[in-house]
Amino acid sequence: MAFIAETWRRLRSIARRDALEDGLDEEIRFHLDQQIEKNRRAGMSPDEARRHAVLKFGGVDGVKERTRDEFRPSLLEDTGRDLRQGIRLLRRAPGLTAAALLTLALGIGATSAIFSVVRTVMLQPLPYADPDRVVAVWETNRSGDRNVIAPANFVAWRERSQTLEHLGMAGPQTLAMVINGQPEEVSGMTFSADAFRALGVQPLLGRAYTAAEDSGGDDGVIVVSYEFWQKWLGGRPDVLTTTLTTEGRRRAIVGVMPQGFTVVGRQADFLIPYGQSPEQLRAVAGRGNSYALARLRQGVTLEGAASEMRSIFAQLQEEAPRRNAGRSVTLLPVQEQMVGELRPASVALTGAAVLVLLVACVNVANLLLARSAAREREVGMRSALGAGRGRLVRQMLVESLVLAVAGGVAGLAVAALCHRGLLLLVSERMPIPRLDQVSLDLPVVAFTMLTALATGLVFGLLPAFVATRDAGSVVREGGRHGGGHRVRRVLSTLVVAEVALSLVLLASAGLLMRSFVKLQSIDPGFRAEGVLTARAQLPATRYDLVRATGFFRDVLPRLAALPGVQYAAGTSCLPLAGPCIGTGFFRLDRPTPVDGQVPSGQVRPITPAFFKTMGIPQVDGRDFSLSDPADSPPVAIVSEAVVREQFGSEDPLGRRLHINITPPGGRTDVEWTIVGVVRDIKLSSLEGDLRPTIYLPSAQLPTRSMTFVLRTEGEPLGLGTSVTKLVHSMEPEAPVDVRTMEDVVGSTIARPRVVSVLVGAFALVALALSAIGVYGVMAYSVRERTQEIALRIALGATALSVCRLVVGQAVRLVLIGIVAGLLSASWVTGLLERLLYDVEPLDPATFAATGLLLLVVAAIASYVPARRGMRMAPADVLRTN
Amino acid sequence: MATDRGDVLQGTLDMLVLKALALEPMHGWGITERIEQWSESVLRLGQGTLYPALYRLERQGLIQSEWKVTENNRRARYYSLTRPGRRQFSDELAKWRRMSRAVNLVLEATTAK
Repeated sequence: MAFIAETWRRLRSIARRDALEDGLDEEIRFHLDQQIEKNRRAGMSPDEARRHAVLKFGGVDGVKERTRDEFRPSLLEDTGRDLRQGIRLLRRAPGLTAAALLTLALGIGATSAIFSVVRTVMLQPLPYADPDRVVAVWETNRSGDRNVIAPANFVAWRERSQTLEHLGMAGPQTLAMVINGQPEEVSGMTFSADAFRALGVQPLLGRAYTAAEDSGGDDGVIVVSYEFWQKWLGGRPDVLTTTLTTEGRRRAIVGVMPQGFTVVGRQADFLIPYGQSPEQLRAVAGRGNSYALARLRQGVTLEGAASEMRSIFAQLQEEAPRRNAGRSVTLLPVQEQMVGELRPASVALTGAAVLVLLVACVNVANLLLARSAAREREVGMRSALGAGRGRLVRQMLVESLVLAVAGGVAGLAVAALCHRGLLLLVSERMPIPRLDQVSLDLPVVAFTMLTALATGLVFGLLPAFVATRDAGSVVREGGRHGGGHRVRRVLSTLVVAEVALSLVLLASAGLLMRSFVKLQSIDPGFRAEGVLTARAQLPATRYDLVRATGFFRDVLPRLAALPGVQYAAGTSCLPLAGPCIGTGFFRLDRPTPVDGQVPSGQVRPITPAFFKTMGIPQVDGRDFSLSDPADSPPVAIVSEAVVREQFGSEDPLGRRLHINITPPGGRTDVEWTIVGVVRDIKLSSLEGDLRPTIYLPSAQLPTRSMTFVLRTEGEPLGLGTSVTKLVHSMEPEAPVDVRTMEDVVGSTIARPRVVSVLVGAFALVALALSAIGVYGVMAYSVRERTQEIALRIALGATALSVCRLVVGQAVRLVLIGIVAGLLSASWVTGLLERLLYDVEPLDPATFAATGLLLLVVAAIASYVPARRGMRMAPADVLRTN
Repeated sequence: MATDRGDVLQGTLDMLVLKALALEPMHGWGITERIEQWSESVLRLGQGTLYPALYRLERQGLIQSEWKVTENNRRARYYSLTRPGRRQFSDELAKWRRMSRAVNLVLEATTAK
């Protein structure tokens, strides 16, 4: 009610404004008349009486102006007038307006594009019931890294934990399905029935599978994603009566998850039960590829649950030392699991965007200030006519806000473009959860406009205050040098700030680029160029492991015989393409190490000719041969790291190893004889260490999926279709996924690439803005010192010395900016440490190069106004004044 | 900012205006004259501050205005005190007396007793 009354009062007072205005005129006229009357009575002549009355009253217009300031609605009223005038002024200086708008659009656009991504990817809570209570449970290995859990441990946790409820397992899973007659490889998850309740998400259609179905009763069920339903099943309404054939098994679709459902950011096109009872899970000897999801019981904190789980794990270490020695358990909020590793990059990008925005603000403040200096006389005149300073500041502020709002709108357009570029840049090879949901929605638009208004205030206030300080003196002194010196000083300070901010960005970008170049030039230990990879998966119904091995043995020679193919081989785990088997091993000719002391290594099943195809040098011994099939004595080839750590100077050939894996047939006491030694290669990441690696013949550790590698003579991808065709001619139901090895390697450093490209782009924008800033202030300075320069030329100064005068001034400013920038950068780049590989945050070369770059750009930017000064015709200038 | 031309202490102007109006409704010129007269021409009100002050006081609801015809048959705007204005005036007056007494005590102190 109060609001309505207030609004009514304001509206009415606007309507009354004209009456008030007229009233004021009449009132003042009356006042003067009374005074004249009195003066007349005192014996003055009519003229004298009037003159004295006016003199006594003071400036009539000044009084009116100040009285009007007291009109309540005048704020609205004047703002409307300021608005119109602001737009008019901006249109009168199209060059400056365009420069300011472009600057703002870039700054605001970059900030909102980044904000739109950060908001959706990092900040938005997962769409689970009470998402703060959902936690992921992982084991940690000896080096403290997050690791998959042992199903046997999981069963114990579920029985013993008092702080967690609905503990369920979840693990990635790919299934070969025949959909509409086409073989497809679909990725989803194996997912306990309890995990649905842990997330608090139920299917949109149908139901989740039950605990009974999950523990092996009848597990021929599947829940599919909304996206899968739409894409592969055409959104058909009878989806719940449909069955899918997955690897030859028929599964009934019992539910469809809601649109956009992910398992902690991981898109899962299907969820299938483990189909194992607690007893069966307890009997699993090793670790699968799952972690657990659970819900904190009401009132339990994360730390409380974590400490209970650690003490349960301590019990498990005593009960099953072989399985659990050296390991522990960790709980993390699902949001953290999803975005934790993206945080350094997103902080860096947000910081870069904010810096660009700041540089943009400074730049626009600079432009406005330079212009307001040109408007000095106008401002001075208005001030002399009685406009109060508050009034002048307000007017200039409204102009800035007009500019800011226009900049915000332009910024949205830039954001829309950036945003598409951003999504393209972060291609599908770099899976970031929820990136596909990023859009320029209402909150982003609101954020953009708020940013615009805030920037308008920031860049508008300073010029407004500087330009209106003793504005009156300008007219009184009749000169044009009223505030010139002061304005120039403020302009200079702004340029210094701008240069400093840009330097911080440029130095950061430089460090990230250097780091990326170093990453890129890491030798992975194999030759990726010219290698084509093709992953094929065989349907489980028709291929047992023996048949699968036979299939791969048959297909390899035919792949090698394709025209353009030099060698062909296969592995079930391609290097740099994701996690594989990591396990313990030890020498059999030495005493068995105690639990917790077992050396660990990577195990990679490969076919013969793998090393030759990948270009990995063989150091000693022999390659696997076709005569190492499943039933011959088990053999292994080890990497140099194994030799170095386990054998030292001894000859490893012929020695036997125990490896903690279970080959088909269930024999765990297999003895592997070393038959060869190869160079180490990078397996999990380019920047990671070289890990001890044991290669085994894939025939002795068979799988139903295989990634073929082919060394080709020409462009590898050119062979893609013939490889797919060849595999399909032998098994039409096997999905084939073709990539070049270079692509595989490149996608492991996609994130540093994206970050360095983006920060680099921001830095370039900042550099361009600084150049504009330097140009602007020097142009102003030359204009302001026109007479001085003209005089110097007239007195015989050469063009060179004029140039030196102007450029020298710019260089001095920029040098101060560089020093300030270097100091700030040395602090800021420390925050980048986690993103840098093999580059110090204080890398002197990068810092020096950045400073030099800025200096050169500033010199060039100031040369243009300097040339104007040099070409001045002194006689003309001096005559006009 | 422009200084007050009328030698009236900033902040006391409102009180003087209220005092003038406490007697009877008056127009702006009348207020100027009345204050000059009372103060034996010591206090001269700058119009640059009087009119803004009148509009401000009206906005604050301490005074109200209406157009009336003067004895000479001219339209003039007459201001009068409102009820809150009256209360405000007596508050200000009490405050002023306390202050001026204190200042006087200090200024006229001879020696410490």
